Amino acid sequence: MGFDAHEFAAIGMRTKTVIWGIFFIFAALATGLLNLQVIHGKSYRALSDKNCIRLLPQLGARGRIVDTTGEVIVDNKLAYDALYIPQTGGIEQTIANVSSVLGISPAELKNIIRKNMAGPSVAVVLAKDIGLKKAIALEEIKIDSPGIMVQQRPVRHYPYESLGCHVFGYVNEIDRWRLTKLSDYGYKTKDLVGFGGIEEKYDYYLREEEGGVSFLVDHVGRFVRLLGYREAVSGKDVQLTLNLKAQKIIEDNLKGHKGSVIVLEPYSGAIVAMASYPDFSPSSFTEHRTAEISRVVRDADSPLLNRAISGIYPAGSVFKIIVSCAGLETKKINLNTSFSCAGGTYIGKQEFSCWDTHGQQSLIPAIAHSCNVFFYKTGIMLGSGTIHDYAVKFGLSRPVPLELPYEASGFVPSAVWRRIYKFKSWYAGDTANLSIGQGDLLVTPLQMARMISVFANGGNLVAPYIVKEVEGKTFNRAKRPVSLGLKETTIEYIREGLRLAVSDPKGTASVLSGLPLQAAGKTGTAQAPPGQTHAWFAGFFPFQKPKYVLCVFLERGGPGYAASVIARHIIEAFIQEGLL
Amino acid sequence: MSKKKRSSFYIILAVAILIAAIGIISIFSSTYRKEGKMWQVIYKRQILWVSLGLVIFLLVSNLNYRVFWVLTYFLYALSLAFLLLVFIFGAVRLGAQRWLRIAWFNFQPSELAKLIMVIFLARYFSSKSIRDIVLSTSHFGIFRGIILPLLFISVPAILIAEQPDLGSAIMIFLIFFALLYLSLVKIKYISVFLVILVLLTPLSWLVLRDYQKERLLVFLNPNIDPLGAGYTVIQSKIAIGSGGFFGKGWLSGTQSQLHFLPESHTDFIFATFAEEWGFLGCAVLLALYCLLIYQGILIGQRTNDYFARFLAFGISLMLCIQVFINISMNLGLAPVVGLPLPLMSYGGSSVLVTFIALGILANIDKTRAVF
Repeated sequence: MGFDAHEFAAIGMRTKTVIWGIFFIFAALATGLLNLQVIHGKSYRALSDKNCIRLLPQLGARGRIVDTTGEVIVDNKLAYDALYIPQTGGIEQTIANVSSVLGISPAELKNIIRKNMAGPSVAVVLAKDIGLKKAIALEEIKIDSPGIMVQQRPVRHYPYESLGCHVFGYVNEIDRWRLTKLSDYGYKTKDLVGFGGIEEKYDYYLREEEGGVSFLVDHVGRFVRLLGYREAVSGKDVQLTLNLKAQKIIEDNLKGHKGSVIVLEPYSGAIVAMASYPDFSPSSFTEHRTAEISRVVRDADSPLLNRAISGIYPAGSVFKIIVSCAGLETKKINLNTSFSCAGGTYIGKQEFSCWDTHGQQSLIPAIAHSCNVFFYKTGIMLGSGTIHDYAVKFGLSRPVPLELPYEASGFVPSAVWRRIYKFKSWYAGDTANLSIGQGDLLVTPLQMARMISVFANGGNLVAPYIVKEVEGKTFNRAKRPVSLGLKETTIEYIREGLRLAVSDPKGTASVLSGLPLQAAGKTGTAQAPPGQTHAWFAGFFPFQKPKYVLCVFLERGGPGYAASVIARHIIEAFIQEGLL
Repeated sequence: MSKKKRSSFYIILAVAILIAAIGIISIFSSTYRKEGKMWQVIYKRQILWVSLGLVIFLLVSNLNYRVFWVLTYFLYALSLAFLLLVFIFGAVRLGAQRWLRIAWFNFQPSELAKLIMVIFLARYFSSKSIRDIVLSTSHFGIFRGIILPLLFISVPAILIAEQPDLGSAIMIFLIFFALLYLSLVKIKYISVFLVILVLLTPLSWLVLRDYQKERLLVFLNPNIDPLGAGYTVIQSKIAIGSGGFFGKGWLSGTQSQLHFLPESHTDFIFATFAEEWGFLGCAVLLALYCLLIYQGILIGQRTNDYFARFLAFGISLMLCIQVFINISMNLGLAPVVGLPLPLMSYGGSSVLVTFIALGILANIDKTRAVF
């Protein structure tokens, strides 16, 4: 073992250079310290002792949220805060004066100051959102009360109150979990951030940048000179594809029914309106109405939940569309295939019932009448695997993903899943249940709207989106609708079935007939014991040139008929408001 | 071996314990006035980390360092896997995600990756030619000498920069550059590399995140953002400067305790220390670091194994660069990039990795007799 002599010398030389480098680095650090601590030590000591630097924050406005026509739905207004800078003397006098104006006891004011004091130079917020009257009163006593200030601060304002609350979300003080994730992006304790909806997902854009001034004051707090200034920057506005008029219509019609309504454009997937009920008032968070907040959070009906994307439910008969499609595509059934419905059928030894006795049924009437027996038998012929594959093809069991947080995936069961996770076998009866959208199947209303839009637009699976642009930037152009490669006849037959469901007097959605336009759709009555059934309607209108896809879902809302009635009201209102 | 057998083991151990102890008392001082239980347990946790670190130091110092030579590529793959995991979870969870939650421990893979890159570079540059006596690096062309190892370290470095942890990424490149120089890669190649790097610097502006750009701008003039990133630097300078020659005394620092100084127990622990112990204390601390790093260089010079030599140099340089960047940042002489001060800043990952590195140094020194 030995070194080559030449090499040894070369390495030794370079090592020496590096050692010198290291000593140089430490010498530089020592010099820096010497400069700061010994040469300038006195002046820094003075700065630290007196804390002569004053900091005054200046706040920008959070970005607004506007609808597709530019109408502002989530806005800002000015709020007034009472601030106090502890550094100046005369605290007793100030507290006495302020106490009478604000109606807060002097003891409590002192407590607030003690708790929130970040340093003598940093302003303490005595009271938030004191209202214009008190703000003016404070300005008047300012001369006798050293250290007191009134600061304007833009806060969230909701001109339409709870309208679209699930889509927009709300703003609130940042929580610990978010803070640890976001502190590197400049988020600080007590920052206001979005929770849920667009406010959360687009917080990065909506967020304002805090500005402020720092200046030097003398020992009695008089301004000496400006040290730094940073302009507050307002957040960026986010424009949605939502239409204010349509949103109002669907919310008015949904009011009082637990559930959700979604309207989307069948060709692009742009969401025109999306509602969920029960709703909440986002202003309760900005105005700190604590009683209301705790009621909303504790409510068993979870008003904060956006049922349109985060609620998962059995699909019921709406799912039969997918079974029909699978049957036609795999050529297991055709237009002439018919089964006889005698109010039920036996699969193995178990009886599976239909909701009516339909007699001989072929595909199109079976869709229109939502005949269970037809789909039990079609489903058994297809097998659960094929149904599963087609369901996944139509976007089930995965998020879209939409630009809203907390989107649920839903679930499509399969024999393999049953074996692996439940240690149970899959029986023909399970396939029958799946064929009519029952059993372990779970979907979100958005997934149903997306599925039905395939038949509205002629075979493309759209990727629904809700953000149109942020300051001229669009985000969703990458996700174009994808063709599912379905046969034209398949789409034509199923569309015919959906039309017949409305136009046939015995059709399940016949309540929608007699409108000035032709609508098409499928109802669903999903059993979810215990309790009432879920009501579904998924359809589109006008039939020939579909402009909107409509999905109405009522949680424990009774039969599909109930959802169809709401759908009718919505379509009528759309016509009246000139949205067609 | 004709050389007198000298050992740095006890010096390293003693200096490391001293620095860690200084760190703990500073962490205690920076948190003891803060309200809330969360703050009160921080120094206890640091004691736990340091104790654990010492155990690991003793273990690693008894583990033949050639193990790392054998395991180099495995470790490289491991660090990539960790970083990718962080990257995947980070993408899902919005904000900066440097930590991986492993059981109860929030592990920061970028810390470990730095050490693994040192091991990797040490092995790469210590490869021998067929004759097995001369380093092949001196015959390396620009591809094998610079481009290939650069590619190897760029992958993890870019993943780390994406986290975003710019400080650690820059560190890896600095260590690479130093080792490049120490191994016998031709100076002209290194110069070409440097020139290209300088020319590319303006382009980096394009890939930096907004807040990183902001920090760089703030570094140039802290007063443009007195309440945000600049605030920390201004307050840190006031804290250090106000310490004067003798310092304000332990637990008497006003800057760090009265919430003026953010991150006073992690990246800005040096400011906390400097305020209370003054120039005198800082000089002692710098001397301790200098001693520790110099021991590393000495160990590297004493060994006859090229891998061990580069490994020792790499570890010393890693410590040196980290100390330099962190303290400069505290002094307002470098932009705020978020690097801990080894052995002093609060944080398990950094403490443990530093002790592992020191353990390797100690073992190189011990194993020397075998050759």
